[in-house]
Amino acid sequence: MTQSTVILVLVIVTALGFDFTNGFHDTANAMATSIATGALRPKVAVALSGALNLVGAFLSVEVALTVTNAVVKLQNSNGTPKASLTADGGEALLLIILAGLVGGIIWNLLTWLLGLPSSSSHALFGGLIGATVAGLGWAGVNWNGNGTKLDGVVGKVILPAVLSPVIAGIVAGVGTWLIYRAVVGVAQKYTDNGFRWGQIGSASLVSLAHGTNDAQKTMGVITLALIASGHWTSTSSIPFWVKVCCALAIAMGTYLGGWRIIRTLGKGLVEIAPPQGMAAESASAAVILASSHLGFALSTTHVATGSILGSGVGKPGAQVRWRVAGRMVSAWLITLPAAALVGALMWYLGDLISGVAGAIVIFLLLLGAAGYMYLRSRKEPVSHENVNDEWDEVTTPSERVPAGSAN
Amino acid sequence: MSNLGFALDGAWRVLLAGLALGAGLPILFALGIRSLAWSAAGPAPRVAARVAGYGLFAIVLLGIALGITFIVATGFGKALSFEHIYPTIVAKKH
Repeated sequence: MTQSTVILVLVIVTALGFDFTNGFHDTANAMATSIATGALRPKVAVALSGALNLVGAFLSVEVALTVTNAVVKLQNSNGTPKASLTADGGEALLLIILAGLVGGIIWNLLTWLLGLPSSSSHALFGGLIGATVAGLGWAGVNWNGNGTKLDGVVGKVILPAVLSPVIAGIVAGVGTWLIYRAVVGVAQKYTDNGFRWGQIGSASLVSLAHGTNDAQKTMGVITLALIASGHWTSTSSIPFWVKVCCALAIAMGTYLGGWRIIRTLGKGLVEIAPPQGMAAESASAAVILASSHLGFALSTTHVATGSILGSGVGKPGAQVRWRVAGRMVSAWLITLPAAALVGALMWYLGDLISGVAGAIVIFLLLLGAAGYMYLRSRKEPVSHENVNDEWDEVTTPSERVPAGSAN
Repeated sequence: MSNLGFALDGAWRVLLAGLALGAGLPILFALGIRSLAWSAAGPAPRVAARVAGYGLFAIVLLGIALGITFIVATGFGKALSFEHIYPTIVAKKH
């Protein structure tokens, strides 16, 4: 095995690791509401979501290899890596990708530990931006696009992040408000069963869309690494084993269930009743699909959070825990720079040690950080058994809301 | 046009489509539940209300089918076109 092959293997393992964290970080986006309202038992919900993510990942027949082009200038417009980065078996490019992925994973794990739903795409892009700035300088980043379409860090990441939760919140708020009016006076036996199915259907759509969108990103990154190191040449297709591995990684991650994040989204923001759950997931599904139809890149996490907040605002008499929402928004704001910082530090370290040794050291640091955070999480475990416990906001017990007052 | 212009242009389209599908369909669904409940509420079953209820559910199911079609088409590198009013699957514009 040559040096670059060893680094390539580390990149692939790390990319699949990122895909796995992407899965469990985002289970909540689709399933938090169905779990909180009891429409699905927790284990059934994550199994359904995992299966749909698997199907969704396999549906990505045509994978965009240019996924990183929105934010960094590592590739030509046809998807091949820049020639300047592929000397020495592509080691320069591989180190940037590896450092970027490590930045993304560490941030994903930290926010999971804190139970904060932050965007996995922002973490990935942030890590790659940081590693690129460290490796190629500020000019290596596509900050603002070229002005002909929505592009660059500003157009593909920052603006959609600001706009999409607001859009989703408005849709879910309007939906919730009208649904409650539509079923005033209807016996609960009809509404409970009906909205249960409404929630399951809309949450399933969100899971399927997530599988097609997010697994693709990792497939694109791995294929880019394979091309850079000379193990693959086509820019119009990806190796089948890459697709299988990525699909399995995201599905297993989803099935594991990021219970800490599910708990925050399902119980922390709003006390969710079945009509709100349906309104929130329908709004998420519609906004995600409409925006991907219109080429407006956005994060599932931001949409789902906006929708759940909106369903709290739209329900007469419901209360929203804005303090929890505020913590989430601050996590969103720092996701990109924080992942970028880790990505950059990892690149400097890897470059300093250089070669295979550098890549191995970064990888070991990742394992160490992941192990530490896992151990920390065991001190206050959240699992499918306690995910729906009452939400106690330690600092402000008076915020406890009488649930279901408008049922 | 700057990035901000493109983003705002995309945002209001997403908002309109989101309201139509993401709020509109759930409301039809809720009205369907209401119709079914009402059809069974009286001493004699009200057939018209029952038919209306299932009709509303059918519209919602069509909306979901549209969503699934879109996801599958996108995965295969195609796009949905609404130029004939009813959706058709076309090659993706680059």
